Amino acid sequence: MTDILFLILSLFALTGAVGMITLSSTMHSALSFVVTVMALAGLYALLSASFLFMVQIIIYAGAIIALLLFIIMFLNIRQDHTPKEPNKYMTMLLIAIVLAPMDYLLFTAFARMPHIEDFSTKIDNFGDIKMLGNALFRGWLLPFEAISILLLVALIGSIVLARKKERR
Amino acid sequence: MNTILVVVIVINIILALLFSLGAAPILVWVERRVAGFIQDRLGPNRCNINGFRLGGLIQSFADMLKLVFKEDFKAKAIKEKFVFTLAPVIVFVSAFLSYMVMPFADNLVIGSQTFIMQGLPINLGALWFLAFAGLSIYGIILGGWSSNNKYSLLGSIRAGAQVISYEASMTLALVSLLVTYGSINLVDMVNFQSKLLFGFIPAWGIVIQPLAAVIFIVTAFAEANRTPFDIAEGESEIVGGYHTEYSAMKFGLFFVGEYVAMSASSALIVTLFFGGYNLPWLGTDTLKENFHTVMLAIIVILPLLSLLFGRWIVKNNVWPSKDDKRNNESKWLIRVLILINIVVIGILGCFLINGITETTTNIAVAIIQIATFAIKLLLMNFVFVWVRWTLPRFRYDQLQNLGWKILLPLSIANIFLTALVVVGLGV
Repeated sequence: MTDILFLILSLFALTGAVGMITLSSTMHSALSFVVTVMALAGLYALLSASFLFMVQIIIYAGAIIALLLFIIMFLNIRQDHTPKEPNKYMTMLLIAIVLAPMDYLLFTAFARMPHIEDFSTKIDNFGDIKMLGNALFRGWLLPFEAISILLLVALIGSIVLARKKERR
Repeated sequence: MNTILVVVIVINIILALLFSLGAAPILVWVERRVAGFIQDRLGPNRCNINGFRLGGLIQSFADMLKLVFKEDFKAKAIKEKFVFTLAPVIVFVSAFLSYMVMPFADNLVIGSQTFIMQGLPINLGALWFLAFAGLSIYGIILGGWSSNNKYSLLGSIRAGAQVISYEASMTLALVSLLVTYGSINLVDMVNFQSKLLFGFIPAWGIVIQPLAAVIFIVTAFAEANRTPFDIAEGESEIVGGYHTEYSAMKFGLFFVGEYVAMSASSALIVTLFFGGYNLPWLGTDTLKENFHTVMLAIIVILPLLSLLFGRWIVKNNVWPSKDDKRNNESKWLIRVLILINIVVIGILGCFLINGITETTTNIAVAIIQIATFAIKLLLMNFVFVWVRWTLPRFRYDQLQNLGWKILLPLSIANIFLTALVVVGLGV
């Protein structure tokens, strides 16, 4: 059952990702990205990471991509506004070839992972909000704070850059 | 898979359906009658089946039937047919799913099994609501965009901006509640609220966290796109907003989805701030311990209430002419009232005389809690309707100012305050 669900969700995730780069309309691309994000959330849920599952839907699907759609709609981007891409599929093929060694690296790394015989998902409160919170705020407090500061810097930076200069 | 498990799950699903989907016609009726009352007119009260009007409730069913049988008209200018059809479905499904984690009663213990009394037995609680309430914005954005109509586009841009900005304050208000209750599980939150403060005040969320309650209720209004935050469909400015181009049941899905979302918001507000399924001063354990007294109280109070209700019916719905069909209704309603009284008092009397087992007590307590939850839900929905017909609409800039400059700083300050108190008291 879990395997079938995994296959279906991965299929959705891959289809969404392919659709996102091949579809020509901006809105359709964004929508197919939503499919990927939701399928990933489903995969997290399968791995019993329930908190990550919810956060994926709330933050990515509910806020970030909704904001993206909002901007696309706000600017009223139509198909003739986007730049022409004459050799789109050729470029994609080239990029795929360039990235092939990277894929090879990933596969070998995966094959040489330390011996794990049991690939079943953990069922006890592994991805629960309490477990995750304890791990984050006890074991990984410093990295967590560092990432928070990085995000804060990015936030303030975007506001400073986007602000209109005052006229003198 | 045993029988009890299946029965309880089926009952839970039916209850969730009743509270969400079944509530929609009732809420439409409440809305129109209360609007009539506030504006000093009657509201719909003529539609009937053989004299049965139920105070105008039949009108909602007639309206729903009308929506189903109307022509599904679609303008030629609409190119994105798939997205256009998908949009109302998203609004409806996400509103419906967000309802599925509201607990109607405390965890039910039958024999050695414990059941979570929710539509879906998931422990994610408040997060689940936030996730699916946030997804409903897709329906609004896509509906407005695919309609290929400037009013629709304006409506969905407004709605999108509003929901995204108010969601931030809503989540932060929720965070301060999570700090107080120490759990994301809604059942734990309600059980926390069954305690007493200083020995006599029920420790409801609105008493412990008044600021979070105000922020959450205001943002819930914005999230449900209800007045005073209904600029998304400001009729006087942009026709119908994002659903201008929709007709028949596609519009119906938007319409019902709005009411289901409103009901889900009310359910969450009741659960977080008004003690959920708990009667004030009577937590689950107290109710179980003093169940004999509770049964006696019900036996005394139920006939009195029925008597008052019956007299109200007689006063308002008995007509002088003998062949008036409307008299049938009063006659039948009073018969039903008497039947309910006899059945309930009979069952409770049996329990009082023969004694009561633990399982039966648990089930009876669950039924009382479900009834309490239903009444609180209806009252909160009434508040939504009441506000809609009392307050005028916000202007767009006022709305964004309120969201970003008042509610957001307040909710962040509230988190700090809550954390200080929780750490200081060492709760």
